[in-house]
Amino acid sequence: MHNELVDLINKNVPGASATLNAAPDAKSDSTISVDANSIFKVVQFLRDNTTMPFNALQCISGVDYLDYMEVCYVLGHFDVNAPRDLILKVKVTDRVNGNLDSVVSVYPAANFQEREVFDMFGIRFNNHPDLRRILCPDDWQGWPLRKDYVAQKYYADMEVYPDGKMNFEDREFIVRQDMIKKAQLAAAKN
Amino acid sequence: MQSRWDIGEPEAPTINKETEQLKSELLTLNMGPQHPATHGVLRIEIWTDSEIVAHAIPHLGYLHRCMEKHSENMDYRGVIPYVDRLDYLAAMNMEWGYVMAVEKMLGTEVPRRAELLRIVTAELQRIASHLMAFGTYAIDLGAFSPFLYAFDMREKILRIFEEVSGARLLYNYIWIGGLWNDYTDDQITRVSAFCDEMLVEAQKYHELLSMNKIFIERTANVGVFSLQDCFDYGATGPILRGSGYKWDLRKNKPYSLYSEFDFDVPVGTGEIGQPGDCWNRYIVRMREVVESVKIIRQAIAKLEPGSVMGKVPKIIKLPKGEVYVRSECPRGELGIHLVSQGESKVPYRLKVKSPCFTHVSMLPRVAPGQMIADFVATVGSIDIVLGEVDR
Amino acid sequence: MSTATTESVREYFADMINGVVTTLKGMWITSKYVWGVTPVSIEYPEVREVLPERSRMRLFNDVQNCISCTQCAMACPVDCIYIASEKMPEGSEIKKTSNGQPIRLLLTQFVIDTALCCYCGLCTTVCPTECLTHSHDYEFSQYTIDGMKYDYLAPDVIAWRDRIVKT
Repeated sequence: MHNELVDLINKNVPGASATLNAAPDAKSDSTISVDANSIFKVVQFLRDNTTMPFNALQCISGVDYLDYMEVCYVLGHFDVNAPRDLILKVKVTDRVNGNLDSVVSVYPAANFQEREVFDMFGIRFNNHPDLRRILCPDDWQGWPLRKDYVAQKYYADMEVYPDGKMNFEDREFIVRQDMIKKAQLAAAKN
Repeated sequence: MQSRWDIGEPEAPTINKETEQLKSELLTLNMGPQHPATHGVLRIEIWTDSEIVAHAIPHLGYLHRCMEKHSENMDYRGVIPYVDRLDYLAAMNMEWGYVMAVEKMLGTEVPRRAELLRIVTAELQRIASHLMAFGTYAIDLGAFSPFLYAFDMREKILRIFEEVSGARLLYNYIWIGGLWNDYTDDQITRVSAFCDEMLVEAQKYHELLSMNKIFIERTANVGVFSLQDCFDYGATGPILRGSGYKWDLRKNKPYSLYSEFDFDVPVGTGEIGQPGDCWNRYIVRMREVVESVKIIRQAIAKLEPGSVMGKVPKIIKLPKGEVYVRSECPRGELGIHLVSQGESKVPYRLKVKSPCFTHVSMLPRVAPGQMIADFVATVGSIDIVLGEVDR
Repeated sequence: MSTATTESVREYFADMINGVVTTLKGMWITSKYVWGVTPVSIEYPEVREVLPERSRMRLFNDVQNCISCTQCAMACPVDCIYIASEKMPEGSEIKKTSNGQPIRLLLTQFVIDTALCCYCGLCTTVCPTECLTHSHDYEFSQYTIDGMKYDYLAPDVIAWRDRIVKT
């Protein structure tokens, strides 16, 4: 199914340069990567074509691989005769101003999903009707699901990780024990 | 006033010609975060023109617990208690969805008895969840006594779960490779006894609420999700079936052992109201309860003694790759997107596609033109659980 | 009177009768519960529910059987178990746990922060000597959050254990 789809996309959407990431075994799913600039056209084509249509967008999920970020569009075809799933991937390399074309006008389901990706990964979606943070507060800083995320110290004059609520006593006890052990080891060596 | 929700061209509020000149500016009203009809902490900003909703804007995130970030720092077994807390009314189904994703990447074979018991457990949980939906929906619409009936039966399921797994709500019972504990024969007998009782009760609920004229007036032809809307917004579960589309993962893309079972997929037919309205969504849930009882009975008949835990390595390390696993939860389809980088004890990325999240995004589509009281009925009919929406 | 009006009038009254009838039906079902149904609620402190055998309530560690393997602390998804141990002083006899495992390390700290615990039961399943268990004790509210920290090496642990084992 994936091979045919890759051919279909490459034939009909110029510049999509779709490639198949075949799964080595049944333990993982095959995916299709497309060029980030053509994501809108590819998604539109996948919905409207007649050979292998996809009538629903299930979710949009982002993955941060540190040197680049990936956005996965999980499409589905809710048809009793031919149910199918597809994971469509695009790469976003720019960590500061990363942006993609929004697919809200193709699938309205993308509205909240794209907002979530924006909230968690900081990837902006062009032409999105209402691109705000969705799960975090509007004035939160940083993109939480990135791997290099460090939480801010204060939010609206509140401490984010208040020391008073951490159990430092017992942690310190363990650390002290470790230090004693190390000192004993060092003494034994000498 | 310019709408912030221009997608899909929301219909203009229906206003009579005579009253047009009385129209004044829109009133902003906050429904929630603490509102009994939102079943949790959901805030919906409603712009109303007198009693008629012009726009509704959901504001999410009051229950955001960064579950996806947490799970990136925890081993695969440790994530299960967190997955429980997503949909706290159907924790077993959530666990099963996650566990299936890990098992697929691990290539574990689950013993047959464990699979059958998982089906029994998940369907019991589905009944419990639908009973909760039934009870709270009645409360939303002002009927109090159905809630007590629903909780009476739900309590029986929770008692069974407490005996089997040790906890009443957040079980950590379905494990990678099988189940924590086996059901004893006595517990199996109690499950079958519960099934018999449930069928009688379900009949009672129909007389009590489903066919009540006041209830029908409140719900029929209210909050109609057309089939096209459902596909556009990716709606699943009772919402999609209530709109008259026969789609159930257990039937159409069977996972586990569901292909061996004989059951119907109830859809909203529009015998009262029209397909896609609140009444049809409600009745789909009530009919699913009966179908679940059917499945449980068949599963119990198939049970054979055996082990309930497959072979799983002590430290779970998944190969490099990614999966997207779907499973049918009481509220719709749960999707787990699990990415592993290999040679690591923790998931690299765990994305939960929760059904309620997509269903909440449909609210701005149906709200324009509704009365506020009808909007409450619509919010209640999608059976929202905020733990799952905000994650 | 035109037929349309007659029709609508008839519908109006039919609706009304339907509403009354279906409501009465529901009330009839509920009214059956007025007599002959015993209350299901129990009068809590006087009457207590017997918990099922597998119930997961407060954690309890029997330190005499603990071999300081720290597997529970590693399995804990919320990191609420704090264990520290050191080498046995030389010359002391090596005790054995109830299932025959030698205790090679001297346990110096075993604290569980119950305020953080999520009662998932993962720690009890990895315990090799089965000394860490969920007791059936569910009444442990405290005035301060520090009171929720339980040190299982505390001198009054024996008395406390008796109270837990009794339930």
